[in-house]
Amino acid sequence: MTEQQLQDREHFANMLEKVAASQDTQAFQAIYNHFGPLIKAFGVSSGLHYQGDHLPEELVQEVMMTVWRKAGQFDRRKAAPSTWIFTIARNQRIDLLRKLSKYQNDVDADDVWDLEGDTDLFGEVRESRIQTHVKNELNHLPIEQKQIVAKVFLEDKSHQEVASELNLPLGTVKSRVRLAMQKLKTHLGANEL
Amino acid sequence: MSNWHPTNDQLLEFASGTGSSAMSIAISTHLHFCQACRHQVHDNESMAAVLFEEQTRADLAGDGFDRLMSRIQNEPTVSAPKAPKAPSRFPPVIEKLIHKDTESLDWRSPMKNLRVSQLLKDETGLILGLHHMKSGGRVPHHTHRGNEISVVIEGGFSDEMGSYGPGDFIHLAGEHFHSPQADADGDCWLLSLVEAPVKLTGPLGWLVNPFLKP
Repeated sequence: MTEQQLQDREHFANMLEKVAASQDTQAFQAIYNHFGPLIKAFGVSSGLHYQGDHLPEELVQEVMMTVWRKAGQFDRRKAAPSTWIFTIARNQRIDLLRKLSKYQNDVDADDVWDLEGDTDLFGEVRESRIQTHVKNELNHLPIEQKQIVAKVFLEDKSHQEVASELNLPLGTVKSRVRLAMQKLKTHLGANEL
Repeated sequence: MSNWHPTNDQLLEFASGTGSSAMSIAISTHLHFCQACRHQVHDNESMAAVLFEEQTRADLAGDGFDRLMSRIQNEPTVSAPKAPKAPSRFPPVIEKLIHKDTESLDWRSPMKNLRVSQLLKDETGLILGLHHMKSGGRVPHHTHRGNEISVVIEGGFSDEMGSYGPGDFIHLAGEHFHSPQADADGDCWLLSLVEAPVKLTGPLGWLVNPFLKP
């Protein structure tokens, strides 16, 4: 990770802790200004705007409301600010899409994607190594692997849906994901994975 | 720590939130028991966060922050860290689906020594069910109409392929012919995930043979 990225990570962890400790609106605005445009882009990659022009902006509002409410649960030893906010955005996207669909059930995304009980003392070190490595390697991936990784992680598409969209066999999608993941995780000792 | 796990693809779809509801619940149940897979999901989330941060930023509406703050004014308290959950018998998401207690569910008994109750049918047609085998009970030989995933949530059972305990996430192919037997020292409770029988190609991506009897 570059010096700048490490500083960002530190900076936004401090901001989240300020929101939790004293409901600091300046800190909250700094988080909004940095992450808001990323959450909106994520909403657009997920195709939310096809279901309503206002939905990507709605996602930003819902995610930031959750950041405000749950700032006290952020723990820098367990997750980077970007990872924590990404998981909130993923869960809010799931709930938002479910509200719009005719299919309903009583289980909220937070009931299913709730891994808070998992305290890992080395989580921060491990995560920062992974993120540094991924950032460095991402640009060395062959274009077809990079494209697929971006799709499976951010575009709200299952492997099967990515295969249909790109008109590729499911096995090809899976093997490209597998190859890309191997490269992105190389250099982390096998024992750590 | 369990011995049978979801595939890497399934864990990745879980981390990116693209799996179906029932599949995600089954994986979440496995994660409740399996630290290794929890770590892998967290690694996947960390990777996703890198891609998330590298996106091209989208312009926000000019009044976005003001709207947000006026909503927040109506609920000014920042919540304290969540109190630890009361210990529950099954993983919390399963408790929520059961609602009250297992005896209030609607049970049917398709085979000797086995009773089943449907917990949920999801948007892709996957059916999530709860299976209960009496301690030591053997279910007669049968094959499955489609492919099936079982996750042990209490007790254990064995079949011709192996023996399974809490958290084990078992993929059973459609042609798999078996006669599971619950362990003698306690009842066995399983979560099961099957394709709805009407589909020819199910959401698990396997071809379901409509001519096989359950």
